Amino acid sequence: MKRIDEETYYEILEVSPTATAKEIQMAYDHAKETFHSESLAIYSLFSEEEISKIQAAIEQAYRILMDEALRKRYDQSHFQTAGGQEWEKPSEMEGIPWEKRASLSFTDLAAHAGEEIYRGKTLRQIREKMGINLKTVSAETKINMKILEQIEEEALDRLPTLVYLKGFLKGYAHCLGLNPQKVIDGYIQFLNESKKK
Amino acid sequence: MDETQSEDRKIIWTIGGGKGGSGKSFITANVGICLAKSGLRVILIDADLGGANLHTFLGISPPALSLSDFMKKRVSDLQDVLIPTGIPNLQLLTGAQDLLNAADAKSVQKQKLVRSIQRLEGDYILVDLGGGNSLSVLDFFLMSDGGILMVTPEPTSIENTYRFLKSAFYRRLRQSVSSHPVKTLIDGAMDRKNEMGIQNPHDLLRAAMRTDEEEAKKMMEETESFRPNLILNQVRSKKDIEIGFSIRSACQKYFGIRLHYLGYVVYDQEVSHSVRKRRPLVLENAQSRAAQCVREIAAKLAGRHQMFLRFQQGES
Repeated sequence: MKRIDEETYYEILEVSPTATAKEIQMAYDHAKETFHSESLAIYSLFSEEEISKIQAAIEQAYRILMDEALRKRYDQSHFQTAGGQEWEKPSEMEGIPWEKRASLSFTDLAAHAGEEIYRGKTLRQIREKMGINLKTVSAETKINMKILEQIEEEALDRLPTLVYLKGFLKGYAHCLGLNPQKVIDGYIQFLNESKKK
Repeated sequence: MDETQSEDRKIIWTIGGGKGGSGKSFITANVGICLAKSGLRVILIDADLGGANLHTFLGISPPALSLSDFMKKRVSDLQDVLIPTGIPNLQLLTGAQDLLNAADAKSVQKQKLVRSIQRLEGDYILVDLGGGNSLSVLDFFLMSDGGILMVTPEPTSIENTYRFLKSAFYRRLRQSVSSHPVKTLIDGAMDRKNEMGIQNPHDLLRAAMRTDEEEAKKMMEETESFRPNLILNQVRSKKDIEIGFSIRSACQKYFGIRLHYLGYVVYDQEVSHSVRKRRPLVLENAQSRAAQCVREIAAKLAGRHQMFLRFQQGES
């Protein structure tokens, strides 16, 4: 029973200390969805002040854990005692990868569209935070580098047609561990909004 | 010796919280049928003292015998007021329609009832608690091996569920301590406008720490071992399903408790069709999406039963 300011960054995001960038990204998406002020799941439970505290903690945890150097420094100061002893793991959800937890035995389940929009810029930011370069994405997804660049650059006039674009977005999302539908919906919403302008 | 063994082996689940219409009786009846069909001996108890209608979900007429015959000592053995449901392995004990004030029944009476329930012959006992936050409802909820909260993805339902969970949580903490000053703190915490500035369970724990460290430790242990369960009902989208996980995270942050997300039931017209026909959904329309969801939940509960038995056999 820890207060939010006593929790480790891992506990704040409910991930294990060995979580990958992909898992942290998913956990962050979940936490953001859960603790935004309009969220149904927390209705009537927290005071406004408590929510903003939690939101700030989530952002801070995400910022540190997604940065390799900062995370390393944090781990050193928090988990290794003077004698270089064992890591103290948070009791919650020890070592269960986020993806497995999220699916549990629920069939047909995936994180679903939030209010945030996955436009090209966002995708690039996430990818860079995960430390994955575009070449790797291209190799893994077999999507042409140029197309990936166009997606990220939001090159509206050069993007492939919608059917293909959806397929590419799906592959890209999978590669980053993001929810494909969420990415596709977000990107298309972004396209529609840009066209109006 | 035999008796204590059979006592130990049964599992009691209570279904409560939320508000009327969130599907407590629906899930009790239909999960009960699924478990009975898999060969487990199941007893359903309608403890919704104000609005007992589990029998309607099972398609049987209001039984002549009810819990009130036992409470009023017209029948001495609780086993004798169990009635068959027409479904093999499934028996029903109905609520006390005429005992509205049983919610405030004397605690001796309540304890006797709880003990009698624990002595019933069956593998599984599902207790439909109905809505409300009265102390007896909370005590029933806490007495069970697993309390199940039924929630629909609507602010009203979620608000009531948190209200219920808070009451149950604080009551459980209160029962775990003996120091009077700490009990007073817990009572104070129930009221958000209390003068002690205790706004949430974390504040309470801090205050308890300052008052009596031993008692505070007990409260922490109680928090650790409190594992309520959640079923989300009338789910209409994937986003609704996600709310269950969010509620789990919220409970972790607010109470420090681990809520188990047992499953969800999709919104399905077939549910109201089956209710109108007074035929249980899992029998009337076993292929409907909602029935599939119910079966998944029942399978999880049965799985736990298996684990429990194995664990017991390993121990003895």
